[in-house]
Amino acid sequence: MSGLTDRSWWPSTPAARGTVADAGLAALPTALAVALGVVPLGFLFVESVSPPVTLTNYAALGGSVYPDVMLRSLGIGVVITGICLTVAYPVTYWLAHRCPARYRLALLVSFTLPLWLNYVVLNYTWVWILAENGLVNVLLTETGLADRPLDLLRGGASVVVGPFALPSLSLGLGFVHIYLPYVLLTMYVSMERLDYRQVEAARDLGAGPVRVFRDIIVPETYGGAVAGALIVYARIAGAFATPQILAAPSEQLIAQVITAQFYDVLNYPFAAALSVAFLAIVLVGFGIGALSSDVRAELGRW
Amino acid sequence: MGERRSPPTAEHEQPAGRIERSVDRLHGGLAAVVNGGFFRVTVVSTAVFLYLPVVVVAYLSLSPGSQPSIPLDGATLRWYGEVLTDTRFVRSLATSTAVGAVTAVAGTGLGLLAARTIVRGRLPGWVRAGVAMTVAIPLFVPTVVVAVGIGIAAGRVGLGFGLGPVLAGHLYWVLPFSTFLIASRYATLDDGLVEAAHDLGADGPTAFRTVTLPLLWPALVASVLFAFALSFNEFLITFFLAGSGVTTMPLEIYGKVRIGATTFLNAASVLVLLISGAVAAAAASLEPPT
Repeated sequence: MSGLTDRSWWPSTPAARGTVADAGLAALPTALAVALGVVPLGFLFVESVSPPVTLTNYAALGGSVYPDVMLRSLGIGVVITGICLTVAYPVTYWLAHRCPARYRLALLVSFTLPLWLNYVVLNYTWVWILAENGLVNVLLTETGLADRPLDLLRGGASVVVGPFALPSLSLGLGFVHIYLPYVLLTMYVSMERLDYRQVEAARDLGAGPVRVFRDIIVPETYGGAVAGALIVYARIAGAFATPQILAAPSEQLIAQVITAQFYDVLNYPFAAALSVAFLAIVLVGFGIGALSSDVRAELGRW
Repeated sequence: MGERRSPPTAEHEQPAGRIERSVDRLHGGLAAVVNGGFFRVTVVSTAVFLYLPVVVVAYLSLSPGSQPSIPLDGATLRWYGEVLTDTRFVRSLATSTAVGAVTAVAGTGLGLLAARTIVRGRLPGWVRAGVAMTVAIPLFVPTVVVAVGIGIAAGRVGLGFGLGPVLAGHLYWVLPFSTFLIASRYATLDDGLVEAAHDLGADGPTAFRTVTLPLLWPALVASVLFAFALSFNEFLITFFLAGSGVTTMPLEIYGKVRIGATTFLNAASVLVLLISGAVAAAAASLEPPT
């Protein structure tokens, strides 16, 4: 009898036992995510208001080049993510629904293979392609298409759209080259889920490619597009190596500034304040995205 | 590339029907061209774009000198020998491969647990949403912020540096990717199949193994590949957590880049591609367990 009361905490119904079992299964990944996700952000915040408690680190953010650098980082993140999605839609659609089935997996793997190369090396390959004595310029001058080498690497005209400057050619190519495979993989998962019979039905009812794309393909694969964008966006905006190698001197991004504060200036509190401020801006952007009912519905499905 | 499919007609309300119909008719007329040519052109040019630099690296790795010039003044495999006899590089490659393999498998396992919790967990909704949010943190937080945060925390807490922290950092980094890759497929599974398995006498683990796991298999393979690639190439977090004792391949390459060993790097990256291509092919050819 006492044995039973001792174990009265143990859930008696199958449903309650299921809850306990599932909580146990959930504990491991959650603990890891808290220990390395939530805790370091707390430390970062504490560091950013040190010594003891001060806001001077944040006050120093305003007057200088930092707002520009942050805006540029965010803008480039948006532009590159958009380009990746634009390419990924037709490619994954073709792979999932047009490609002969026996080649499908091989082609999918081959599209993602470049992502296995180190991105520092991949970025340097563009230097050799775009440099003054690089592949493109050698071809152009040898064939007589250009009199003199073009300024393709870390330069060229910067196209300004509203508050955002488009990335220079070399930076754009370098970013898309690295992050496109990630978007392709995520998009493919949801493109494969798309029931092709819906496309056929829409066609039979007279819809052209535009309407099929807008009314069938986009709604059905929205989740993959959002997931792909989420995966690459913050990584592009916070990238360090790629701008270090391929950006024009006027295109400094936030990660370069933060790393310089951390390693060269050794000003940890200011590096932390920059990080927290940048994080806040990125999160506001994601928050606006999450306000959209479509995105919420998509996230809610999980 | 995609501008063809999204002309700005959809916005207009009043003449929408007419314009839409004529656009549709136009595209219907072009359908053969578009369907036949558009996808082929897009797919082929994407492949060329992705592989051109790889081909260039392979070509330049044959350069006799340590600084290649285009066109090459000769071809030699000498630098491959240099790479394979460079003990520091070979050791860093072994470290990266081991860390990547552990991260890929353990990360996919953790991702499966998290995905199951989020999609099917018999827990209150706010707990599942909380788990999803917590796991998703590295997705919303830019890499450099994650790296600086973990670096400062590791120093302050005395978490220390070395292989353990690097593994933990990599697992944390790949967790959201594997979780949501698996969850998006988990969400489409038909509950009825698992119930049917239960009705036929299968217990929970058996139903999971014989029904859920095979249906999840494509997502699991994608997750393993994804996680390995993320870990294998991860630079910033490793940089902050490795300390002096551990050198992964990206850290070693970063060091080589700084001293300007370019042809060595080209040969090294071709070797890395061959190795990881073999791993990817092996992973892709795995059959689901039955």
